[in-house]
Amino acid sequence: MKFRIFRSAEDQTGAGPVDPTETPRMGGQVLPEVTPSKGRAAAEPRLEDATPVSNATVVDSPPVGPIKIAARDVSVFYEGKQALYDVSLDIPDKTVTALIGPSGCGKSTFLRTMNRMNDTIAGAKVTGRIAMDDEDINDRSIDPVLLRARVGMVFQRPNPFPKSIYENVAYGPKIHGLVSSKAEMDEVVEKALKRAGLWEEVADRLQSSAMGLSGGQQQRLVIARAIAVNPEVILMDEPCSALDPIATARIEELIDELRERFCIVIVTHSMAQAARVSQRTAFFHMGRLVETGDTEDIFQNPRERRTLDYITGRFG
Amino acid sequence: MNQHTVKAYGDELNQITAEVARMGGLAEAQVADAIDSVARRDIALARAVVERDLKLDALHRDIEKKAIRLIALRQPVASDLRRTLGAMKIATDLERTGDLAKNIAKRALILAEGEPMQPLTRSIERMGRLVSTRLRDVLDAYTASELDRAVAVWQTDDEVDEHYNALFRELLTYMMGDPRTIGACTHLLFMAKNLERIGDHATNIAETVHYEITGEDIVGERPRAQPTAEDSDPTPNLSTH
Repeated sequence: MKFRIFRSAEDQTGAGPVDPTETPRMGGQVLPEVTPSKGRAAAEPRLEDATPVSNATVVDSPPVGPIKIAARDVSVFYEGKQALYDVSLDIPDKTVTALIGPSGCGKSTFLRTMNRMNDTIAGAKVTGRIAMDDEDINDRSIDPVLLRARVGMVFQRPNPFPKSIYENVAYGPKIHGLVSSKAEMDEVVEKALKRAGLWEEVADRLQSSAMGLSGGQQQRLVIARAIAVNPEVILMDEPCSALDPIATARIEELIDELRERFCIVIVTHSMAQAARVSQRTAFFHMGRLVETGDTEDIFQNPRERRTLDYITGRFG
Repeated sequence: MNQHTVKAYGDELNQITAEVARMGGLAEAQVADAIDSVARRDIALARAVVERDLKLDALHRDIEKKAIRLIALRQPVASDLRRTLGAMKIATDLERTGDLAKNIAKRALILAEGEPMQPLTRSIERMGRLVSTRLRDVLDAYTASELDRAVAVWQTDDEVDEHYNALFRELLTYMMGDPRTIGACTHLLFMAKNLERIGDHATNIAETVHYEITGEDIVGERPRAQPTAEDSDPTPNLSTH
């Protein structure tokens, strides 16, 4: 099942000339249209003021494969203080994209723009355009609640509801009306728990409290809860920072499996984790996107001095 | 390059580099002394070269141990990783260089028992000086991280090959002229071959330095001296890289 929170493709194709009132707007400002064909060229990271690390003439490689989320000139202000400056980034589908950078660099802020979590913060303002499948997610017609079902989120600390394991996973499908019978719900819960690699461990105690699970199990439960509503994108904000190495390894293995079905964006403070789980890496510093590219390039030979300093542990 | 936030990490990296530089200095001296021992028929010096090779072997092991420890404990990435692996590779090249110098010294001991071969040993000496210079240049390029200097060494490997080919012809002429010199000339031929191999190790080091600094391989064709048609030696162009 799919949510119809955006206009469908048929609505658009039959529409004829574009209604001027449909021009993407944000804060009264008319924003440039992002078209997928032109989008690629415009996606070139802004490195003009960058000092290259080596004199090799490498052009920044855009991601291969279809783009799920295209951010253009995204800035975020908290109470007038700017936290993010003109970030333009293409996030490919069915890929793990890692956002790295020192604390306060804007990586979590950027992550939160992708499911409009910043809406919930008083005094926060987002400018620029974030398009998911070419639709502006900040458009007035978008219901943020439905958006967040399409764009799931996993936080640093596992946050299961103080309910049973079953109810934790069933909650999303229930409130979104995705299932019509108990049998169907059982199926959805089982599938989600299996995909999250938790089924074997909890199958015999689905009715016991989720709070009795270990930290790593809770985190996998939260992931099961997120995927139970069939999202397209999963955002993860340091999902392993509260877990031990074995639980971390299980989550990383899970992320690698989920990549085949979802677009995953992960914020992590562990450079080793970014290197292990992601295919694309974006490095943020002081609210700006500094460098983006294939993870193996970033960790072998980054082109930007600041990226090199950060990943090698030289930041002052 | 900025300091590592964890100072001990930077110190360890610098220590490995310093040790490779030290090993380089020793290898350079081994080559120079081996050549001298041939030119001056100096038995004591030749013996000293053979003995000192143990020191190079020990340094090689020590550098490898330190590099493996650093990889295990610090997980270096990007330029730090290249620097660590570069140190290991260069140490291996230097260890091989030392072995070849030792072999020259051993042959010098044998030659010293026979008649002096003046004009021929002078040719070996000339080729030895050329190879020593290249080794010194590439090691300087390593310690100072000078890319241009490393590339210059890489580009001039053909000079050594030319020397080797000339020496080969010279030795052949001698042996044909007087079969009694065949034994001594064969030793000299192996010395020349060893020097040519040392030159190749210098070229390897130049490639490693280039990769360490830029993260890229040296591209382009390295000039190479072609053996002339009448040369029957099948080896000159089969150098190992």
